[in-house]
Amino acid sequence: MDNNRQGAKASYVALVFFTGLWMILPSAVRRFNREAFAEFQAPALHLVGKGRDLARYWELQSRSPEELVAAARDLARINAALELKIHSLDDARKENTRLREMLRYPQSTEFVTVVARVSVRETSSWWQRIIIRKGRSDGVRPGCPVVFGDRVIGRVSVVHLTTSEVDLVTSPGFRCTAFLEGDDQYHVVHVSGRAGLALSAPRAMVSIIPLGYNPPAGQIAKVMTTGLGGVFPSGLTLGTLEAGVQTTSEKHMQTGALTPAKELSFIQEVSVLIPKYPTAGEILLTPADTGKAEEFR
Amino acid sequence: MKDIDGQNPSAPSDPISAWRLRAVFFFFCAGFVYVAVGLSYRQLVQNESLTKNSDNQGQRVVILPPSRGKIYDRNGYVLVDNRVRWSVKADLLALQPEFRKEYLALLKKEKERFPERRPDYDQLQQTARLNVLNAWLTKIWFVIDSTNQKAAKGTAKVKSTPDLHPEERMVHPDTLRKHLNERRALLFPLILDLAFPNSGHAVTSEEGNRSVARFIEQFPVQGPITLEADMVRSYPNGKLASHVLGYVRDTDILKGQLDDELVEKFANLQKLGYTGKKGADGIEATYNEVLSGHSGWEHWTKTSSGYNKERLEAKPPKQGADVALSLDTKIQKSAEEALAKIVDSQGKPLPAAAVMLDVNTGEILALASQPSFDPNEMADRVTQAYFDQVNSEGGWLNRSTQGLYAPGSTFKLITATAGMRAGKIDWDDILDCGPSYMVGGRAFPEHDPVGYGQVDLEKMLAVSCNVWNYQVGLKTGPENLAKEARRFGLDAPLLQKPSEHNNHSTTELPNPATRMVVPDRAYKQRIAGEPWTDGDTANTSIGQGYLLTTPLHMACLIASIARGETRTTPSIIHDPGRDGRHAGAEPIGLNTQQLNALREGMLRCVEEGTAKSVRIPGLPYAAKTGTSEYFKKGEKAHLAWIIGYAPADNPVVAFCVLVEGQLDTSTWGGKTAGPVARDMILAWRTAADKKDK
Repeated sequence: MDNNRQGAKASYVALVFFTGLWMILPSAVRRFNREAFAEFQAPALHLVGKGRDLARYWELQSRSPEELVAAARDLARINAALELKIHSLDDARKENTRLREMLRYPQSTEFVTVVARVSVRETSSWWQRIIIRKGRSDGVRPGCPVVFGDRVIGRVSVVHLTTSEVDLVTSPGFRCTAFLEGDDQYHVVHVSGRAGLALSAPRAMVSIIPLGYNPPAGQIAKVMTTGLGGVFPSGLTLGTLEAGVQTTSEKHMQTGALTPAKELSFIQEVSVLIPKYPTAGEILLTPADTGKAEEFR
Repeated sequence: MKDIDGQNPSAPSDPISAWRLRAVFFFFCAGFVYVAVGLSYRQLVQNESLTKNSDNQGQRVVILPPSRGKIYDRNGYVLVDNRVRWSVKADLLALQPEFRKEYLALLKKEKERFPERRPDYDQLQQTARLNVLNAWLTKIWFVIDSTNQKAAKGTAKVKSTPDLHPEERMVHPDTLRKHLNERRALLFPLILDLAFPNSGHAVTSEEGNRSVARFIEQFPVQGPITLEADMVRSYPNGKLASHVLGYVRDTDILKGQLDDELVEKFANLQKLGYTGKKGADGIEATYNEVLSGHSGWEHWTKTSSGYNKERLEAKPPKQGADVALSLDTKIQKSAEEALAKIVDSQGKPLPAAAVMLDVNTGEILALASQPSFDPNEMADRVTQAYFDQVNSEGGWLNRSTQGLYAPGSTFKLITATAGMRAGKIDWDDILDCGPSYMVGGRAFPEHDPVGYGQVDLEKMLAVSCNVWNYQVGLKTGPENLAKEARRFGLDAPLLQKPSEHNNHSTTELPNPATRMVVPDRAYKQRIAGEPWTDGDTANTSIGQGYLLTTPLHMACLIASIARGETRTTPSIIHDPGRDGRHAGAEPIGLNTQQLNALREGMLRCVEEGTAKSVRIPGLPYAAKTGTSEYFKKGEKAHLAWIIGYAPADNPVVAFCVLVEGQLDTSTWGGKTAGPVARDMILAWRTAADKKDK
């Protein structure tokens, strides 16, 4: 009994001691610890992801040959359609490049695409995050947009050596500008993640919607990236505007809830769009480079 | 146990007497009672006042300005709107650690440099704040200016926001000092308008959107720098109808009407307010109370150093009500575009005014004045250069309602009416009109050197014969002329608000002219101290001499004649239920033949007379031109007038155009003012045809 009491006492003392120590440690040491923990944790995360892939593989193996043949046929059709689309997009890209050269209108942003598997989802009511299996070693940088097809998933917030943390569209750390489908005047609206209440689904909000805006009749209005901010390419879908746009109490703007473009809880694979050249925001985010702002002037 | 003296060592050497013990006891008791009573007094008696004092010291109320109501034209087209203003603001409370760190660094440097001298702590603190804020501002500008385009070294290429002086990219020490003194609790605006940084340096809308988007997407979400969106006044059509719409200026909302609940609930709390907006001219000023809305408020606790700490409760502001004007944007635009084409020899637009009214209701469809100003330039803070420029051009004056001019030959309609009503002339009487007419030994000239010969009423109006009017004016007499002019309200103030709408302003537009002159014998005696002469009557009969009126009065006059009445009550406010009754209006007092002759004469004026150059094939309209003389910088110049109504057979709109001519007297009613009238009528016709379809 005494031993137990002493053990409990010692553990409390140790907790207080280490908490105190953590608080007074220099920030560099704390950052190092965090990084070290992330790297230590990374193989486990990889393992979890691989395990999930394996489970999926065995699940598919258990399917009947008829089902697999049907799936392969569907896939072949989708592939053929995509091939066709790639071909037409290639033509469009060439035409776009030709026109840009003719008008001397430079390409706004150039991206390199890195495909990454999702290993962990942290979709608590507060932080809406996923961890992907690509990191610094693959060229991923903080601030890079993360997409799935033409739909925005979120933005890279923290990068480790082999993994990266991605703030989802519904995370409070996410914000970007957007255009609304059906707005002929192209008003810029503000999309930002909101921390959900306990036991409620997390949401993103679309604010600064002009009063005169009405969604296209009979349709759900798409919310699309502007491409003006230099982070997201233009025309990507952030989601759709939920019905029932509310006017703010002062009646001069409207706000609405955003339904994300993709079911974020089930996403398994994403693409990270890495800008060829670092954005200004990226430079500001890197502590060592904060002086560059002056340097660039 | 006893010591060597046989005494007990534990016993006191000098025993305390009972009364001393009682005294100490009493002293402690008294002290206890004093403290207990004091505490009870404070808890029970002073509780309320002490709580109030505590609240007063630890809490404050921040007043939030409302956004103003919109202004529409009669067709629901937005003339004045509110646009979103994105401001980048710094949370000074969150920046305190950075201020402190910078301050200590500066202090250390100062002590190293001047070990003997006592540092100026206040100055160091101010410098530290400036350094920190400027460092943040540099980062913000860096994000806003840069694009991701390929640069030489593969880094972000920097493109500066156009036309911003380096000093404008920094925090001004005086601005920061003022903010700390007066509004320490509020967020400090680093960039007031992200889309249009600093007034006078407006970038394009796309560039503005790009700046906003760059900041939102690239600047860290967390931190002491925040982005706020509020509404500011926007005039989407620039200079269009600027004299009618007016502009707004900054105001201290604490001095305005505060919410009753706020006054009652937080009577003793310190109140801080953001800068609000108040109408300074035009409808913005006269309907300020309607457009203003109601302020909101936020109840905050504050820190000991005066920053806001925690928001306890809030009431959002309420937007002002909208106002619908009677203007028709298309007609207004055509009037202003036509006026802009009238230029002097240097290509500078001549001062001019144009008005178009709905004949039946009196609602003003167009009210233009040239030169004008862009209210967008005044929406934030007007620059001295822009103010001086508008001032030197005379652009602040609304010539349609405030400009006083001699009506010239357009007044001949009054002379003819007065003559017929006095029985001195009839519609078919013919007068012999030579090249001049002798009055009081002086030859009063005709504007045609050979004269017009046999002239009746219709011909007089078509060719604008002076001699006919001299003769009729002299026969009718100055008192009858003045009486007739007054009957048509040429000296009556216009644009008066109905009494139930009188709030701050009694008129629909600010300061409409009140010093119109309809001269008579008494007037000349009073002004010049001389008796009235026949020469004065002759001058008055052709709209010269002492007569002074405004283009709006002349538009009302012609609208009244078109309806066969004497008065028209103009209004700039659109009211679909207006019944067409006009205050003080009575039948014109002419028989049908006389009235028809008057109208036929004006029709002939357009078909074959002085306004034939601006006739519109297929759309007959009635008009009367006028060219009066005035002195500009001591030299004789012409005022060009045209008044009329359209269509001639079923009048719907009445108009008046005035142009202040050049010194070379090349300005003439039909030739100079006529094209503006023609364009306005065509714009009205197009709009009406569209509506009919």
